[in-house]
Amino acid sequence: MTVRTIQILFAIGWIAASPFVSAVSSEETITGLQVIEKVYNRPAGKDMQADLTMTLINSRGDQRVRKIKQFTKDFGEMEKKIMFFVSPADVRNTSFMNWSYDKEGKNDDQWIYLPALKKVKRISSDSKSDYFMGSDFTYDDLGDRHPAEDSHALLQEETVNGEDCYVVESIPKEEEYMYSRTVTWIIKDKWIGLKKAFYDEDEELLKILTVKNYEKIKGYWIILQTEMHNVQKDHRTKMELENVIIDSGIPDNKFTERMMRRGLK
Amino acid sequence: MKNKHRAAIGLFLSVLWISSSLNAQSLNLSGYVRNGTGVLTQGDHAYSMLQNTLSLNLEHSRGNVAFKANPYLYHYSDRDLELGLREAYLDIYFDSIDLRIGKQQIIWGKADGVFITDIISPKDLREFLLLDFVEIRIGITALKADYYLGNHTVELVWIPAFTPTRMPEENSIWRATPDFPIQPAFDYSEKEIKETLENSEVFAKYSALTSMIDFEIMAGYAWDDDPTLHTAKTMDPNTHQLTSLLITPRHHRLSLLGGSVSVPAGGFVFRSEGAYYRDKYFQSSDPNLSDGVLKKNYLHVLLGTDYTLWEVKLSAQFIQQAILSYDEQIVQDEFENTMTFLASKDFLRETLRVEWFSYLGLNHRDALIRPRITYNLADGFEIRTGANIFVGSEGKFGQYDDNDMVVAKVKYSF
Repeated sequence: MTVRTIQILFAIGWIAASPFVSAVSSEETITGLQVIEKVYNRPAGKDMQADLTMTLINSRGDQRVRKIKQFTKDFGEMEKKIMFFVSPADVRNTSFMNWSYDKEGKNDDQWIYLPALKKVKRISSDSKSDYFMGSDFTYDDLGDRHPAEDSHALLQEETVNGEDCYVVESIPKEEEYMYSRTVTWIIKDKWIGLKKAFYDEDEELLKILTVKNYEKIKGYWIILQTEMHNVQKDHRTKMELENVIIDSGIPDNKFTERMMRRGLK
Repeated sequence: MKNKHRAAIGLFLSVLWISSSLNAQSLNLSGYVRNGTGVLTQGDHAYSMLQNTLSLNLEHSRGNVAFKANPYLYHYSDRDLELGLREAYLDIYFDSIDLRIGKQQIIWGKADGVFITDIISPKDLREFLLLDFVEIRIGITALKADYYLGNHTVELVWIPAFTPTRMPEENSIWRATPDFPIQPAFDYSEKEIKETLENSEVFAKYSALTSMIDFEIMAGYAWDDDPTLHTAKTMDPNTHQLTSLLITPRHHRLSLLGGSVSVPAGGFVFRSEGAYYRDKYFQSSDPNLSDGVLKKNYLHVLLGTDYTLWEVKLSAQFIQQAILSYDEQIVQDEFENTMTFLASKDFLRETLRVEWFSYLGLNHRDALIRPRITYNLADGFEIRTGANIFVGSEGKFGQYDDNDMVVAKVKYSF
């Protein structure tokens, strides 16, 4: 993964790149798999840092806010990410580091630094169906799902909010996966997933992800605001990226135990 | 006592005033206020704890230097107000080296709730093992230097003055009473370690964090944090009866070599930690020994694993303490085995946590069981209720069989 990880913190940061668009033989014959592969393989910046605000909103409208500072860097066949929790106060100075690999089947490596224990602990990255910090995003929603893990079909083309979109249905090959299928609306000329619907194991609509705002920064389309709505529980999670800096030359040693312990100093 | 209260409160107000004055210069002020109440479930239901706590973290950084200070205040209903400084240190960051100078907590190893290579910061055992771990570790004045090469680290620690384990006070329910045949007299004249360069402690560690494995290799030349009770006996020459016992607590030098690893495998994380202690002293019942103690080498090892099943976080550890070249007269068993279990699950979008932690002593069939429920009423505001249940009649946990308690804590973090 590259900068994509942070973009995928929005659960599908589908950012397209024009060179890949032109590589398609013909838009008329494009398949669902091709759409997803090109999005997965899109070029992105070498590194990225941003402030992430996550707002959890329950059915009564009560809000809980989490703030995170995060850094991501592409190291070729692996991508490293480090996140520093800024608020609420009881998780401040907690940090989380993730190394993910392009190699299919290789699990991510993850560590967490807990200031209350003053220890960096290795944790298993196997629980991808767990929800991230009580939000409506699972760890797998936030990760970089390989196209080969699903079967993709181009259902139709639609116009959403004035944007021409491909509508792609993805069905997981793994029988026990938490979703029975997903349907994604991808903007044709920008290759951004504008909307995504998640269906549960009983084929009932579970969640809808909607992109609220995106901008082109340093030549890359960056999704800045998104919302995941769990329609069954009427619970929402808004995610907002601010102070996005791309290709600033984040040093390699930012992604080490040393920095997990030091925090944002 | 009133003067002490005034001094403590005055100091805290000064800290707050300085904090607000420096706020414009980005001084980071955080901390918590906490109330803890515990009630014994047996006897007349005496309070095991009535404590109010204020803990502050003051942090500031400028370029490649930073400082942190963590003053705290414990207020009890039946004891003097306690003002302390858990940490107060300066950091200097270079390209590949970090220096930390001052009072600090240093925590090594991969074990949870067990102290094997994690012996640099001594323990505060005034509430046995029931305090939060950050409160069990006593900050020590030290110079710590870390040299980094990618994810490899060499760490050197020099502790100029020795700090022993803080034991429970005389009338505390956690005060363990050794079993003596007659009432002994105590001589504390040799308990103190003079603060000299020769009496300092040094530790070194090489550690790495890699995709396949995380590991630490450490060595230390230290003092045993727990005093050895040297016992001088006087016998009546005619009746051969014991007439007096003189106990002299004394700390001894200790050297150790150890390490720990943490390896992911599928959904599991396997952990191991071990240390070889040279020249550790043990109590002996051998009547021929002049001071009732024997010096032996000693192993302390742990195997553990973490796994998540149906969103329940599970953790288990097996710990063995082994005295090498064992003498049958040594009071402690040759092999002492302990296990720990942890199960925890979050509900209501991580606002409610149900947790079960237990220590099991396999030699004495004793245990400490700690169920608890934590609810985050609002961000940074938690309510916790639980119990500490001691099972058995002897052993590290069973000796406190009368100390079963229910506990409630309310904590506001800012």
